[in-house]
Amino acid sequence: MNDSLSIPHLILNASLVVQLVMLLLIVGSVASWAVIFQRGFVLRRARKAHRAFEDRFWSGVDLNELYRVTPAEQDVEGAEHLFRAGFREFNRLLPKTRSSQAILDGVQRAMRVAWSREEERLNQHLTFLATVASASPYIGLFGTVWGIMGSFMGLSMAQQATLSTVAPWIAEALIATAMGLFAAIPAVIFYNRLSALSSRLLGQYEDFAEEFHSILHRNLQGRDERDAA
Amino acid sequence: MARAKKRVGYGLPVILAVGLHVGVLAITLLRWPASDPEPTSSAIVKATLVRSETATDKAQRAQQAGASAAEASKPQEAEPTQQQAEQAAARAEAEKQRQAAEAARQEKAAAEKQHAAELQALNQAREQAQEAARRRAEEARQAARQKAEAEKQRQAEEAARKKAEAEKQRQAEEAARQRAEAEKQRQAEEAARKKAEAEKQRQAEEAARQKAEAEKKQRQAEEAARKKAEAQAKRAAEAARQASEQALAQSIAGEEQAIANARQAREAANGFKNLVKQAVEQAWIIPSSAGDQQRAVVRITLLPTGELVDASIRESSGNAAFDRSVLQAVERAAPFREMQSLPTAAQRQFREFNLDFNPEDVR
Repeated sequence: MNDSLSIPHLILNASLVVQLVMLLLIVGSVASWAVIFQRGFVLRRARKAHRAFEDRFWSGVDLNELYRVTPAEQDVEGAEHLFRAGFREFNRLLPKTRSSQAILDGVQRAMRVAWSREEERLNQHLTFLATVASASPYIGLFGTVWGIMGSFMGLSMAQQATLSTVAPWIAEALIATAMGLFAAIPAVIFYNRLSALSSRLLGQYEDFAEEFHSILHRNLQGRDERDAA
Repeated sequence: MARAKKRVGYGLPVILAVGLHVGVLAITLLRWPASDPEPTSSAIVKATLVRSETATDKAQRAQQAGASAAEASKPQEAEPTQQQAEQAAARAEAEKQRQAAEAARQEKAAAEKQHAAELQALNQAREQAQEAARRRAEEARQAARQKAEAEKQRQAEEAARKKAEAEKQRQAEEAARQRAEAEKQRQAEEAARKKAEAEKQRQAEEAARQKAEAEKKQRQAEEAARKKAEAQAKRAAEAARQASEQALAQSIAGEEQAIANARQAREAANGFKNLVKQAVEQAWIIPSSAGDQQRAVVRITLLPTGELVDASIRESSGNAAFDRSVLQAVERAAPFREMQSLPTAAQRQFREFNLDFNPEDVR
């Protein structure tokens, strides 16, 4: 009796629909955990990179020097990416126009594009986590309802309806709900955590962009005065 | 700047995720067998508990029986035990001798071995170690042999003891059987004696009875002759008297029955009245305004089936709410099916009757 009520035994004895539901939930759970790990690595790395870059940026190094040592456009990430995009735009616009406002507009636009790319990169696949978190309880519930439906259909055939005839079916049906929750709970928790991390990083990028913008603005102010003089 | 490091692929995360799930699955798989045995083992324990109880019982009983048998037989039958003791002593003696010889032999062998070991120790340390090991093995073997012999001896003693017990038991059984036979014989004699006595008595009674019968017969014959004459004279007078008496008795009986019927009916009627009153009082919700002194008499009209035709206040209590509550209670309590089981005379009586209600009776 106890042997027949172990979880693997119940899973193997479930009906096809319930088994499919369970398989779907297992796949969803594995995928969501893969996303959790991958996002976790990405975000941790991005945070570290951002801290390192900020240290370098505020260490008083010459911006041209910094621009030269940063890698090519495709390989940079985070605030570095913003810096590179903005500085390149600044350097390109500087010889072409005399209007500092036009230069600053161009820089800001370039940095906004870079920022939205970063946002996309950081939030990649997080929606998948949200989907798993919200959908898998329902999927599991569906499996449970289906299993209990089957058990009651079988019960109508049975001569004597005792608790012990219904109990294994209901137990195996309830496993589907348990698995749905098993998939959903980590997905919810980590979705919240990871999206909070990424939004904090994006806020930091934004701050950096503003600061960088103000630095460029200061430089241009100096140039305007020189031109005027 | 390790640029390759910046791209985080999905390989490692997938492996980690799969590993996590396998781990969780393994935990569930491991948990279940671990928690499984508990219920099953408890069930087994339950089963074995019963068995162990009986087993210990049996063992205790066997031990007690053995002890009691040994105690009982010790003073009674000294002969076989003495004999056995002698035998055992002889065997022990032989055993002791043999052991002594064995010990001597062992000592000799040990001495020899020691000697050889000493010689070898002079030659090579390695060989000595081997030799020592071999000797140890030999000693162990000897010890084992000794132990085995001791065991054998113990078993032999055990067997002897068992045999003695069996013998004792057999003798006890024999004695019991003999005693039982003697008892049986005694009972048989007793029975024979009783039978003989009974026979004698019966014969004596028979004789007395026969004598008495003969006397009675003679007397009866005389009596019959006298009676016949008397009877003829009497019968004529008797016939006339009986006729008048029977008529009287019949009339008396009829009267008595009528009285009894009436009493029964009255009792039933009283019972019915009480029943109705109780039923109504149970259904009665006494208004709070009712005082204890108030009293209402209700006239109830019933069908023979017990259904209520009408209930009306015969004597009002002076409190309209009280009167109404009594009427409602009667209506609630109706029908009174007990009416059907009443005798018809009583039924007629209760087509209409009065009941008086007083809150004091209920409270």
